[in-house]
Amino acid sequence: MSSIPGLGIVKGMGLTLRRFFQPKATIRYPEVRQDVPHRFRGRLQLLHDEYGTLKCETCFQCAQACPIECIDMGGHDTRGRYAVHWGPAETYGERREESALRRSGRTVPDPAYARFAPVDLAALESILEAHDYDPGAMLQILEATQTAYGYLPVAALKRISFATGAWYAMIYGTASYYSHLRFEPPAAAASPAGPATGAPEGGRPDAGYLAALDAALAGSGPGRVH
Amino acid sequence: MAVVGRRFSRLSLPAKLFAVGLPVLLVAGILTVAVLILALPLVVSAAEDNLPLVRFLVAVVAVLLLTVPTAFLVIYLELKLIARMNLRIGPDRVGPFGAAQSVIHGLKVLTKEDFTPSGADRLVFTWAPVVVFMATVMTLLVIPFAPGLFGTDFNIGLLYVFAIGGLTIVGLLMAGWASFNKYSLLGGLRSAAQAISYEIPLSLSVVGVVILAGTLSLNQLVLNQAGSFLDWYVWQQPLGVLIFFIAAVAEANRTPFDLTEADSEIVAGFATEYSGMRFGFFFFAEYVNVFVVSALLVTLFFGGWTAPFDWPFPIEAPLDPGSLGITLLFLLAVVPVVATLLFALPFWLGRSSTPFWQALIIGFVIFNIVAVAAVLGWAFVSFDWVVGLLWFMAKSYVFVFVLVWMRATLPRVRVDQLMGFAWKWLLPAALLNLFVTASAVVILAELQ
Repeated sequence: MSSIPGLGIVKGMGLTLRRFFQPKATIRYPEVRQDVPHRFRGRLQLLHDEYGTLKCETCFQCAQACPIECIDMGGHDTRGRYAVHWGPAETYGERREESALRRSGRTVPDPAYARFAPVDLAALESILEAHDYDPGAMLQILEATQTAYGYLPVAALKRISFATGAWYAMIYGTASYYSHLRFEPPAAAASPAGPATGAPEGGRPDAGYLAALDAALAGSGPGRVH
Repeated sequence: MAVVGRRFSRLSLPAKLFAVGLPVLLVAGILTVAVLILALPLVVSAAEDNLPLVRFLVAVVAVLLLTVPTAFLVIYLELKLIARMNLRIGPDRVGPFGAAQSVIHGLKVLTKEDFTPSGADRLVFTWAPVVVFMATVMTLLVIPFAPGLFGTDFNIGLLYVFAIGGLTIVGLLMAGWASFNKYSLLGGLRSAAQAISYEIPLSLSVVGVVILAGTLSLNQLVLNQAGSFLDWYVWQQPLGVLIFFIAAVAEANRTPFDLTEADSEIVAGFATEYSGMRFGFFFFAEYVNVFVVSALLVTLFFGGWTAPFDWPFPIEAPLDPGSLGITLLFLLAVVPVVATLLFALPFWLGRSSTPFWQALIIGFVIFNIVAVAAVLGWAFVSFDWVVGLLWFMAKSYVFVFVLVWMRATLPRVRVDQLMGFAWKWLLPAALLNLFVTASAVVILAELQ
């Protein structure tokens, strides 16, 4: 190849001369801004409102929209009762320790996560079989499941998601949309306490929040909150 | 007097300045004109008596002034061309297309602290950049830029170029020695070793041309190559051109032989202890040297300022403005005003929102552009030195481009490769070139 002395120099000079006429990679930044890739979503962060309350309602829409499935949602539903997760299986809380170990060599405890109670899934399997594992028949599956168990246990929803291939978040959304579907055992079995003994859960916000709201709204209008 | 003083004290500041400045300016102007009228014949006659001295002074000033735009242009070209070869745009913020970038670099260097190490030999330390710079600039004095446009037509011009160019080594050794720093001293010695080694093939490679031309005068060398590009010495001395080019690149401390102050390495050779404008002068000299090397190459091998083919300019056109006589003065007074108004008129009439003063400014700018273009065109058509200068500069900057191009491409050689190449390859090749040329000249003379 380099049998002729100086051939390498000639080839190198030819290369730089070709580069001289090629289009340039420079972007004149303040005047010209490069288009971001269409899948770019900016920095991921949770927003707070002006009172410092987290705005996130754990609706999973961001996780669903994420095109590369990098968002792992872990939180509680709007009534603060259930820990719900959405994301690739390896980022689920129950498998988080080993995946985190694999990535960083350190365990990452997730205090917000509460392991759901396991239930006997034999009844659910027959229901799924009857509906041919069809995610299009989700409402029928969920109604049959509630009939069998009395409510919709998280373990059953996970199993439905796994068997039908539907996203857990979509199943959760479907179930929470219909008022006749519930995620907890019926009230009579769960708690004997009547409505007179205290405010219903989630009924009234706490006093500190209301005071801050009053202070912020004072003088801003004739209307009063609560 | 009291009345005048009171009146004066009531004036505003601009009015005071005006009232004082206008008489002073008037008196000074009249005095200047009077002195000029009285002294000018004396000065002119003295200058006529000492024409060589006047020519020398003018040439030195012109060459010194020439180095500044030359260095700026070469630095700008280097920034811009290497950037383009790296798929970048390069400087584009200061001035049109970043053209003032090198000026800004110069100003930056000027504003930096001028530091002298405590143990340095102050006198030598101060004069080293001057020696390096002057050695480079003085070579420009004998280079023929155009027919009649040279400092002096030295009959040993080529020898002078190499002798003065060799003074650079003295400057480098001075810088290395006076810095009171072992790295500077080593860098200076390394530079001197390189420059001296390459001086020998450089000088030997042009001996072939000298044998062919029978003269050492650069002007006569150019005249010998007049005609078409087939008359250039490059066709008779291809090996000589190659050796001269390589050795000149090494002399100018350019890539791939830029070990003396390798930019990308930590210790800057002989310039380690230099800062501010003294450091700047080393680089100033280096970039002027790039032009000098290109100009020498063009002068010796590529026909200097002669056109490479049958070129119709300058035509002997009857375009002598002196023949107009008193009409010329009249035109000089009237044409600018009329032309400005004429150029301004369409802008004023064309858009009703353009005020007349804006249209006047536009018209004045257009008139200036047109006038400069007309004068340059007239000079190009009428004067052979304008045409020659353009050819010379075009050819020189082709080689400046090649030098920059090499810098964008080639990696730096090792110091043993550098010395081995000079002594084992370039020197034998130069001797071979000299031997073959001399033999050919003798044999051809015998045959005829």
